[in-house]
Amino acid sequence: MSEAKPSRGIGDYFRAVLACVATTLLTLPLHGVVDAANIVMIFLLVVALVAVWLGSGPAILAAFGGVALFDFFFVEPRFSLAVADAQYLITFAVMLVVALVIGQLAARLREKALLASRREDEMRALYGMAKLLSGAVAAEQVAEIVRDFLGSRLEIEAVLYLPDRDDALVAIPARRGGDQHQNHVRAVYEQGQSMYLAAEESGYAPALALPLVSSVRTRGVLLIYSDHADRFCAAERRPLLDAVASLAAIAVERLHYGEVVQEVTLGMESERLRTALLSAVSHDLRTPLTVLVGLADALTLARPSLPPPALESAVAIRDQALRLSGLVHNLLDMARLHTGKIVLNREWQPLEEVVGSSLKAMAGALAGREVRVELAPDLPPLEFDAVLLERVFCNLLENAAKYAPQGEILITAQVAGEVVEVAVVDAGPGLPADGEESVFDLFERGRHSGAGGGLGLAICRAIVEVHGGRIRAERRAEGGTRMIFTLPLGTPPVLEEEAGE
Amino acid sequence: MNDDRPLILVVEDEPQIRRFVRAALEDEGRVVEAGSAAEALEAFTGPGPALAIIDLGLPDRDGVELIRELRTWTMLPLLVLSARSAEAEKVAALDAGADDYLTKPFGVQEMRARVRALLRRKKVGAGETVIEFGNIRIDRAHRTVTRDGAAIHLTPIEYRLLGVLLTNAGRVLTHRQLLKEVWGPGYAERGHYLRIYIGHLRQKLEADPARPRHLLTETGVGYRFHLQDSIS
Repeated sequence: MSEAKPSRGIGDYFRAVLACVATTLLTLPLHGVVDAANIVMIFLLVVALVAVWLGSGPAILAAFGGVALFDFFFVEPRFSLAVADAQYLITFAVMLVVALVIGQLAARLREKALLASRREDEMRALYGMAKLLSGAVAAEQVAEIVRDFLGSRLEIEAVLYLPDRDDALVAIPARRGGDQHQNHVRAVYEQGQSMYLAAEESGYAPALALPLVSSVRTRGVLLIYSDHADRFCAAERRPLLDAVASLAAIAVERLHYGEVVQEVTLGMESERLRTALLSAVSHDLRTPLTVLVGLADALTLARPSLPPPALESAVAIRDQALRLSGLVHNLLDMARLHTGKIVLNREWQPLEEVVGSSLKAMAGALAGREVRVELAPDLPPLEFDAVLLERVFCNLLENAAKYAPQGEILITAQVAGEVVEVAVVDAGPGLPADGEESVFDLFERGRHSGAGGGLGLAICRAIVEVHGGRIRAERRAEGGTRMIFTLPLGTPPVLEEEAGE
Repeated sequence: MNDDRPLILVVEDEPQIRRFVRAALEDEGRVVEAGSAAEALEAFTGPGPALAIIDLGLPDRDGVELIRELRTWTMLPLLVLSARSAEAEKVAALDAGADDYLTKPFGVQEMRARVRALLRRKKVGAGETVIEFGNIRIDRAHRTVTRDGAAIHLTPIEYRLLGVLLTNAGRVLTHRQLLKEVWGPGYAERGHYLRIYIGHLRQKLEADPARPRHLLTETGVGYRFHLQDSIS
């Protein structure tokens, strides 16, 4: 470990000297028994061992020490550094060079081995952290795991900055006493580039801000800081720090997608519930209403005929039940439209058709009333949901029949610029002053204190608006009301020419 | 009791609805009740019913499925009971082979009229060559259409469409059925063709095209051809 080097160094050099001395003592009895060249070999071996165990510095010392001790104890004149035979100078030179080379090679090998084991250690630690991160279910846990890792391995502090719903960066854990790094962290988040913040620049401990870059976008910032900048500034630290940042990014991204999935599931669940509730309510109301209408209707047709007062009651029960049924349908329609998830079945079709079907559907309410239809002959097909538009016409016609008990009802339609303007006009008492807009508000009643009219108009507005149109009410100067809605013209599909004409 | 009267099967799980339907149809025929699809199928073991009224919301089985099964071996007229804002359900039932539908809640007279029309349809063959409605006369043998005696020109597709509607007079035909029948299977999704040609036919055959009396729209479902004047 590099930071441990100076403290262990002196000991290592001492051990190198000790190794040389011990070698000398052990080989002294061999003097005269074996050839001096073999003694040299033993010294070279010791230098190599010192290099492997203690590193390059002690190996150099051992090389010089070995040569000196060999000279002193084994070369004539013994117990002096003087050399009688000049040939030994070559021995010394060769011995020194070989010892140095072996020493350096062995030491480099040792450093590589050390580095490899340190890398392995780091990888294992990173793997451990990744495993912990994969189990994290909250951003706080991710921050804690990253902090634990950096704190225990590098003795540095760390803070995770993650964007909230408004994309503002929030520190996890929250930082006490103000956050001097906030602006720099923001810049790192936006640019996706790491940034070193010197102490004087941030007015705080030196720090390094690393973006949490995921596959799609920057997910946040990892800020690490320490009073000892060297603990994270060294170039050899960067791969580890980058790995930590990218693991944190993956964890944060996974959490993000988890949240998205949960939101979607929740939304689907509540939508499913709402739909189930609507269909249950509509079914539960429909059945008794059908029975009520049917039984009352059967009574009115019973033979022998009921006495007049009872017959009147039966007719009234049937009519009221039908009205109740209409109200229930309006409520359900409104609920469906208000969920905003109504599926429009839009098709290109002539407006004339839906006017016809609406008039037929409202034949009862319009009985005895004069209804005039004036559709411009050049009216192009329009794209709309026929069922919903029929609701609009039925509600407008019902309203007209209810609030204008006398006079003609007129339906008109013509192209007006980019839209088709459709109007249902009655000759009733007209809207109250300033009621032109509020008449379409939910639960706003019409001109009289009759019930339910407002719901029908609110449905009209909702339907017209989902078709991209507008609805408004006008007071006619000559009395009565003009309900006008628009539908966009669009481009109708081209029909293939009929063959064989 | 005249035992020659037609047998009418009512498949509906709500007893109160069965009760008034039975009361209302007493004049039209003998009524057999079934509370479920299984009971409905049992009713066919004896002398078969002449008409069946089927509620689509059965407890034991999907009503549309029951219709599909019945259609594999019987052509008896089928009248479906369904809710409003359930157009898709009605279309599925009609595509499966139902002849007509009633939307709940429905009046007794309306139901009687539909039942009568379906029973009569059974009796009248489709072999008539001359058909008259309103002031229109169609001679299928000579392929001529006249209005108050004056010839009306129909394009081949208009004539074919009118022919399909006439053959199925009184029944509801879905958009899909008409498109397949008149234009061919490849046109099943081109609803605008059908609507525009229906518009043409109304212009040529109806006194007031905005208020048709014969070529009726079943909104969101399809069309029905009424030989009798429908405003009665």
